[in-house]
Amino acid sequence: MHSDPTDLIHRAQQGDRAAFEALYRAHAGRVYALCLRLTADAAQAEERTQDAFVRAWERLATYRGESAFSSWLYRLTVNEVLLGRRAERRREQRVVTTDDPAALERPRGADPASGSALDLERAVAALPPGAREVFVLHDVEGYRHQEIAALAGIAVGTSKAQLFRARRLLREALNR
Amino acid sequence: MTDPHMDAPLNEYADGTLAARDRASVEAHLAECAGCRTAVAELRALVAGAAALPKTIEPSRDLWATIETRIRQPATWNVQRFWRGALAAAAMLVLAVGIYRLFRVPRSDLRVGEGQGWAVVQADFDRASDELSRILAVERERLRPETVALLERNLAVIDTAIAQSRAALARDPASAELRRFFAAAARQKVELLRWAARVAAS
Repeated sequence: MHSDPTDLIHRAQQGDRAAFEALYRAHAGRVYALCLRLTADAAQAEERTQDAFVRAWERLATYRGESAFSSWLYRLTVNEVLLGRRAERRREQRVVTTDDPAALERPRGADPASGSALDLERAVAALPPGAREVFVLHDVEGYRHQEIAALAGIAVGTSKAQLFRARRLLREALNR
Repeated sequence: MTDPHMDAPLNEYADGTLAARDRASVEAHLAECAGCRTAVAELRALVAGAAALPKTIEPSRDLWATIETRIRQPATWNVQRFWRGALAAAAMLVLAVGIYRLFRVPRSDLRVGEGQGWAVVQADFDRASDELSRILAVERERLRPETVALLERNLAVIDTAIAQSRAALARDPASAELRRFFAAAARQKVELLRWAARVAAS
């Protein structure tokens, strides 16, 4: 059964959790995919997905319908991931001393149609975080450099440099 | 391999965002450079491949239950988070004060009351560590088994470092290098426990 998204959003804005759950069901896969590719870590992606939906619930009243609900939700998700990433960057660098937790939490659930897509997913997951974030946002999600710069708190030139670096590293990895 | 100076123009050329005045010179270069032609072809294939990746990936478990709990009882959840955060911060403060106290003890005092500064810091660290361990014990079952295993491996390594620095400090309590080593290991343990408690709590 497909409910009218506008009606679901309106009901959720009134505090209807069942309507919000329907919105979650409709968008969870897309939000999780975004989180997974940005973090390259399944456990973090689950955490960020939950954070994004909780934040969406808290901010539903601010959604006025100027853009598609999905665009609003995905932008909020990117914001959650990048803000969380900035806050944790230093802590993670200090904490991970003896092993790479990401190796235990490699992306799961992705079932790309071809081997080359799988290779690309793996290569993207192995990129350095800054390059990976810009590549995912620009080349996978279609954001422009100006938008990425605003979301990530970096200069437009930095966004471009990270993208070109990511592509260079990916070409090297895929040509191996 | 292409000239690194060509990296930006080739990317922008492949994206179609290169200014018209630069496009002609890049095309002239491409007519003569097989390596750069290959690079452009690879860039275009990469960009097309990225755009074609599946937009939806289902999480391996249903995340709704946790989301519902959090949006159903935001006040309780926030209060719990606040207290867990406050306890963790308090534990960190105890440790920081302890380490500060250790480093500010003049060498002459250390000589007179050998081992005294170390004992105070050890007690402070143990208190902070115990406090965080108690917080983590409550939330531990929320972590994935792989994460718990990794956490335990990391803790074992750090505990070994702490035990070694304790033993070395017992032999040479005035050694600034050993004190720094202990402080680094102790800080790392508290950071790791704090991180695990936070991940489990969220």
